[in-house]
Amino acid sequence: MTEALRGLLKSRLFWIALCGTVVLVTLPWVVSAYVLGILTVAYYFGVFAMSWDLLFGFANEVNFGPTFLIGSGAYAAGLLNASGAPIWLCLIAGGAAALVGGVVLAVPALRLSGPYFGLTTLVAVLLLQQFIVIFASRTGGEIGLTMNDILSMDTTTNYWYALGFMAVSGLILFTLSRSAVGLILQASGQDRIGASALGFNVVKHKLAAFCISAVFSGLAGAMLVFYLGTASVGTVVDVSVGVQVIIAAVLGGRRTIVGAAIGSIFLIVAGEALRPLGQLSTFVVSGIALLVILFFVDGLMGLLLRGREET
Amino acid sequence: MLELQILIDGFAISALYALGAVGFTLMFGVSGVLNLAHGATMVVAAVTAWVVAGQYAVNPWMAAVAGTGAGVVTAFATYFLIVRPIQRSRSVPAAEKEIFVLTGTLLWGIMIQEAVAYFYTDNPKTVRPLLAGVMQIGGVRTPINELLIAVICWSVIGLLWLLVNRSKAGKVLLAASINPRALTLLGFELSRVYLMVWLIYGVLAGVAGVLLATFLGASSAQASQLTASAFSIVVLGGLGSVSGSLLAAYIVGYLETMTAYLISPTYRTIPALVLLVLVIYVRPRGLLGRR
Amino acid sequence: MPDRSTVVRQFRTALMASAGLTYLLTGPAGAQGKEPIKIGIISEESAITGAGISKGAQLAVDAINAAGGVDGRKFEIVQYDDHSSAADAVRAFQRAVSQDKVVAVIGVYISEIALALEPWAARSHTPFITTGAASNEISKHVHDDYDKNKYTFHEYLASGFIADSVCDAIKENLLPQYSIKTAVVFSEDAAWSTPLDTEYMACLPKIGVKVLDHLRFSADTGDFTPLYNKIEAQKPDVIVTGISHVGVQPTVQWAQQQVPIPMIGYSGQATSGTFWNDTNGAAAGVVTYSLAAEGAELTPKTRPFVFDYIKRFAGAPVVTAFTTHDALNVLADAIRRAGSTDADKLVTALEKTDYMGTVGRVQFYGRDSEFTHAMKYGRDYVPGIMLQWQNGKQVMLWPKAGSQIKSSFPPFTHLQRK
Repeated sequence: MTEALRGLLKSRLFWIALCGTVVLVTLPWVVSAYVLGILTVAYYFGVFAMSWDLLFGFANEVNFGPTFLIGSGAYAAGLLNASGAPIWLCLIAGGAAALVGGVVLAVPALRLSGPYFGLTTLVAVLLLQQFIVIFASRTGGEIGLTMNDILSMDTTTNYWYALGFMAVSGLILFTLSRSAVGLILQASGQDRIGASALGFNVVKHKLAAFCISAVFSGLAGAMLVFYLGTASVGTVVDVSVGVQVIIAAVLGGRRTIVGAAIGSIFLIVAGEALRPLGQLSTFVVSGIALLVILFFVDGLMGLLLRGREET
Repeated sequence: MLELQILIDGFAISALYALGAVGFTLMFGVSGVLNLAHGATMVVAAVTAWVVAGQYAVNPWMAAVAGTGAGVVTAFATYFLIVRPIQRSRSVPAAEKEIFVLTGTLLWGIMIQEAVAYFYTDNPKTVRPLLAGVMQIGGVRTPINELLIAVICWSVIGLLWLLVNRSKAGKVLLAASINPRALTLLGFELSRVYLMVWLIYGVLAGVAGVLLATFLGASSAQASQLTASAFSIVVLGGLGSVSGSLLAAYIVGYLETMTAYLISPTYRTIPALVLLVLVIYVRPRGLLGRR
Repeated sequence: MPDRSTVVRQFRTALMASAGLTYLLTGPAGAQGKEPIKIGIISEESAITGAGISKGAQLAVDAINAAGGVDGRKFEIVQYDDHSSAADAVRAFQRAVSQDKVVAVIGVYISEIALALEPWAARSHTPFITTGAASNEISKHVHDDYDKNKYTFHEYLASGFIADSVCDAIKENLLPQYSIKTAVVFSEDAAWSTPLDTEYMACLPKIGVKVLDHLRFSADTGDFTPLYNKIEAQKPDVIVTGISHVGVQPTVQWAQQQVPIPMIGYSGQATSGTFWNDTNGAAAGVVTYSLAAEGAELTPKTRPFVFDYIKRFAGAPVVTAFTTHDALNVLADAIRRAGSTDADKLVTALEKTDYMGTVGRVQFYGRDSEFTHAMKYGRDYVPGIMLQWQNGKQVMLWPKAGSQIKSSFPPFTHLQRK
């Protein structure tokens, strides 16, 4: 445990993240409610992206359907709330549902590799979407499910919830990534045969990564819908949302965890800042992300930490 | 009579799927690229055909040629602007090149989609049928255009087969898909091969897009759906296998058509998705895949 | 005893402080006389029906400002595109209210999005007028929780009334000419069409048309062939439609397959002046409800608006352009009557609206109606019209069709004349 702690304190990323968090904590006294609202959504996205990065960056599995996990968590929480359960119970249910979904997806998917794994995850999202639309009478279908409760009416309180959640999740995920488990994952991701030869149970570790990623995604999804007040296919299930998560993580910098959070904040804030462009805002944001991928392969963190050794 | 209707409709839609899928799988087989801007390429071809038809009041055939040309231009743009820079990049580790190409083409596809929507809205665009009117086949009233589409698709696929199996260029293509390194050792320039495959891909996607516009209509909002559909069919058939894609296209096309007619159009995509999942679990390399 | 210089200093400070205070209290208010009134317009720019919203708004605001504005203050539009996404729309709404400080938000044609914005209008106490969404739920929510939702106004005919309008039009214009005994209801599965269909099922039998079947299809259907096949097998006389997200595809395929049954009802996209070109002429014979159209002369304001619109935007207006134009004027009128832009005062003023717009006489239902704050439907208010596409033009069939205007269906349809 102290090993992990020491490793943490030595990492440059950790200090960057800490400084960043401190800055974010001061914001409610400085910026308007509108900006806080944008950042709240960005923080939840940050957790989506960080969970994805754990899976991709370390287990080297490109999950094209992070929204399968996010959506499962979100809708499970929403449906439970519709039958009267209190928020905290719904959140737990959301995380649990995503975990179950993650296991169901992982067990067969881990036997596959490359594009097949990606396709399986994509198909999972499509199936979830169909499922929600077909059972529209319970789930609200395309219209969406209105939540009975919301986290809070107050913007600042919502901001604290989101920031706190992102910080705690980030800390856990980051520590994991730097720990022995994380190293094993990285090894199995980069050289599966070599890692097995060294005696590590690759599949077990990948499954663990999957499960952790799932729980955080589902939990974040549940919290997001309790913030927005509605759960809809367009906000937590659609493939385009998954694409945004992937872009955020790659843009921020793969395998850094922290980068994923930064990438999300950048993406969402940029999208909002470009709102005056109207229709073209998505175009421009995608363009910027594309340029980053082409020219700044290590993403924003790569730019920030120039000179950092590549593992 | 319903059976005949299903048979005919299924045939036309499967042919269209097949054309799109064949291009996609050829691209993967020869150059290892999964082009996620596939749907967007088809949409550009469709919208160009619509614009040309409307702007210059030409007959649908001219518009179709213009649309196919646009498909080729988009394909080359994808290659030169996105795929080639990533493949040649020194800062992207070799193991991750595939992921970057995937993400890059995905973003590029989104940009194209948004640009089309900006200039022309996301309303579906249709082009006048190449041949108008209906025909009675065994009591089933079928638009002539639908039959023509099936004929065109299969002709193009036939031409492709001839190209690959009977021409020198085609054999080089085939060889590149099996063992690119050996090909370079033999003195062939891989870059020329890639150019050729992107050209062929552009034509295939372009024709598919234009035909889609005359048959059902195409909108920028459908771009990702078209890509996902082609991707699924190709994986079902076996990545890199052209005959696999053809078979899978027909299986998916008929499954969808039967579901739409016999159960309900709402559940149209489900049996195909379930089949895909089963195949992935049981036989991941697809029906006729060799890798 | 303080010496003279201290006293002078204290006096000067006090003078400056009170001057400053006075300026603070009256300054902004004084400047307010010239400050523009900001209105947020949220629309789905990449959809034909949505793009009409911003255009209608621009025309209205230009005319209002040219006439001197409202009590000397000009209207200023702040435009937002919600990319047909509820999440985007909510963010746009939040920005409009807290950053851009708009007085009211107008627009949105997708019911799911309007319904998502309704609670935000309530939370932020901002008047919100939707000018394109049709769902009954919008005004039902106002009725069910008035104190919270009173800020929302529904300036489009609610789905139930649309259905009534269609039934009335069929009864008065088509039944005397054609033998229409059976129908199949055919609509997209979306929030706005559920009450529409329910009302169709109720009002069609009342005019003597038996409903043989009720088909609802997913809004992202691309291939309509199986659906037309199913309809044709039942041999109805007409297809009664409820479509808005789709329009081009089902119409083009209907024409290409030469389905022998005419389509009558509500086709949102068919209300747009560009629909003929969009479908390459396949729209011929399509009959749809609308609120106003190119050839219609519902009120003295209809024609001039269409004329101005075509001149400025090179194409006839879609229905949402009419309603948004009227909504801006309704808002201006309300601000004048309220003498302020305060939200609660505006709501009270809006409730008392009695404005002759381009679509008819605009009034809103009150708390005694189930559809509080919905636009009043009726011959004397907003009746809706029925138009048919003929030879590239929208021809008004009802309610005031001239005697020389005849309905005309394509040759492949087999509607029996009486």
